[in-house]
Amino acid sequence: MKMKKVMALALAGVMALSIAACGGGSGASTSSGSGSADAGSASSGALTINIWDADWTALGNPEVKVEVIDWDNYWTLLEAGASGGQLADVFWMHSDYSQIYMENDILLDLTDYIAKDGVDMSIYYPDIAAIYTRSDGKIFALPKDHDTIALLYNKALFDEAGVAYPTDEWSYQDMYEAAKAITEGTAADVYGYALNTSNDQDGWYNYIYSYGGNVVNTEKTDTALDSAESKAAMEQVRLMLTVATPQAIVAESGTDSLFQSGKVAMITQGSWMINSFYTAENSKDYAWAEIPYFDRNGDGACQKDERWSCYNGLGWAAAANTANPDAAASLIEYLCSKDAQIKQAQLGVTMAGIPGISEDFANAFEGMDVSAFTKVEENGTLFARPGTRNSGKWQTPMKQAGYFLDAWQAPENPQAMSDACDKVAKLIRDCIAEEQQ
Amino acid sequence: MKEKKKMTPREKNEAIWGLAFVAPTMIGLIVLNFYPAVNTVYQSFCKTGDFGKGNTFVGLANYSKAFADPEIWQSLINTVKYAIIEVPLGVVIALLLAVFLNGKIKGVSIFRTIFFLPMVCAPAAVAMVWKWLYNQQFGLFNNILHTNIAWISDPKIAWISVGVIGVWSIIGYNMVLFISGLKEIPGDYYEAASIDGATGINQFFNITVPLLSPTTFFIVQTRVIGALTIFDLMFMVMDKTNAALPKVQSTVYVFYKYTFDQGNKGYGAAIVMILVAFIMVVTVIMQRAEKRFVFYN
Repeated sequence: MKMKKVMALALAGVMALSIAACGGGSGASTSSGSGSADAGSASSGALTINIWDADWTALGNPEVKVEVIDWDNYWTLLEAGASGGQLADVFWMHSDYSQIYMENDILLDLTDYIAKDGVDMSIYYPDIAAIYTRSDGKIFALPKDHDTIALLYNKALFDEAGVAYPTDEWSYQDMYEAAKAITEGTAADVYGYALNTSNDQDGWYNYIYSYGGNVVNTEKTDTALDSAESKAAMEQVRLMLTVATPQAIVAESGTDSLFQSGKVAMITQGSWMINSFYTAENSKDYAWAEIPYFDRNGDGACQKDERWSCYNGLGWAAAANTANPDAAASLIEYLCSKDAQIKQAQLGVTMAGIPGISEDFANAFEGMDVSAFTKVEENGTLFARPGTRNSGKWQTPMKQAGYFLDAWQAPENPQAMSDACDKVAKLIRDCIAEEQQ
Repeated sequence: MKEKKKMTPREKNEAIWGLAFVAPTMIGLIVLNFYPAVNTVYQSFCKTGDFGKGNTFVGLANYSKAFADPEIWQSLINTVKYAIIEVPLGVVIALLLAVFLNGKIKGVSIFRTIFFLPMVCAPAAVAMVWKWLYNQQFGLFNNILHTNIAWISDPKIAWISVGVIGVWSIIGYNMVLFISGLKEIPGDYYEAASIDGATGINQFFNITVPLLSPTTFFIVQTRVIGALTIFDLMFMVMDKTNAALPKVQSTVYVFYKYTFDQGNKGYGAAIVMILVAFIMVVTVIMQRAEKRFVFYN
């Protein structure tokens, strides 16, 4: 077979660590293997892909050239490639951008290949498959993975402060009290918690849904960010911020770096970042607990609809104008097959886009219990990462001055947080109105 | 000589070859510079569609939006503030260094190399290193000075901190230009001046500075334009959630944000056109000033 260049442009960060998570603010903010990646993490991402590629090539397929690009530059490059007709053959797609790419026929229509090769779409997480299905039912990408959120804590810092470890039964109020005890007990040398405005999917989104609010409704027509429920959730966030690392420091160093430097005792983080902490210097001190819940009915126990974790999944997509659509589709089908996804899980790259492979993933991290990420799928509720057609238009500004950043800067002021909720709600509504024009 | 002389075959041949030799540069300029520039002007009058498709002409709508946007004006102020730090300090420090390194000091070439090194480094790498030097919690500056200053997060000082990086990066380049300018000044002037009893400082202000003014003007002019189009320092040093960003982000940074973050290329093009107009005005003013302040012998 003639060697064709099938390039997989891959977002780094799945297995990837980010030394400075804030290196690219939006990097840290978006999920599914989008930790802002430095060169080191980029190469680890590439390695993983090469492993599958080698297998795929061994089946008599063309060779594959892999390019890894960090999150911020990935979308700039992909957009330029799409505008100029010079896209890579095969690449990753993300929920923030899938709709705009599908609507403009940039992606290869995989519907016929799926029918011809008998790919069973029902094996995938339905929400993730839906991200890559256009309104007319055509499918443009296959689910690559999925991710959930959990609470990460540093046992050594809890021991020093004499505070009991987080448990899977923690409510957000329990988390606040522990964070307060640590921050006050160490005279703010170590902070109990850190959260930036950009920690949305891995942070404050989860509060909002646990409290019964939403960021964007499922029909993508409105937001409930200014509802009483959302405001109550953001009030809890504000309370956490009063005992958390000041935003100025978090923006400079990033929550992950602060945690790994032993300056922060707890953060919430996504499953795509596990490897970064698993391979860290003090990883024996690190442990995961399930993401806290909000006791809506006040019975002191966690029901399924009280614990919410954001989830999202990347998709493997191909360019509509690829020179070799058959090979591209075949590569995608291989990468998203159950075998390849089991391998991906076993390697600890990321959790599969197919339910029921959690076990393989949990076993990938010997000595670190990551079951918190899979347990939440049974005893909690998952919600898809909220987004609209052009999410970047509101997702970046809402983290900056004039919106939530103002509230983060003044955590002692409840009114600032409430105002910020109103402003962001208006921002999202304006963007939705503009998109529908 | 009323009629135009016809070209001889030899002249024709030379002309063709001449054109052939400049063609690579010309084609490069047209494809990579002129066409995008013209296209940017066009896009600034458009509501641009996804992936460069479906542009609709909207007249001056982008411009009226930009003129009414305080963020754009603030970014212009930020850019000018940056230039006010970078250009004068970059010129003065470089001039002093050039004068010292033009004399007879041991290891002159080592010093010249050291001062020029920042020019050799990738700007992104420079910015990353400075970002960690400035870091409030772990940064070297705060650790050495035993302070707790938010160098790049306090809106009051962040613009200065960023400007300092710019100065540090550029003095080597300015210095090399100054040294070559100094070599042009004949030694006789200094000899005559010292016979007349002029001190070193007198010589510097009455001989070196005026005779160096063409070089100084060239540096100032190119650096002003360079400083007004600054982007990479802010982009690399400051996180998007940095509270000081609105007071530091340059106009090109805002252009990048709208064009690439938000996919609003028409608005981005309008912003950059405003910046171009601003730079043109500044350049014209400087060209006028040239006649008054620059001394060509």
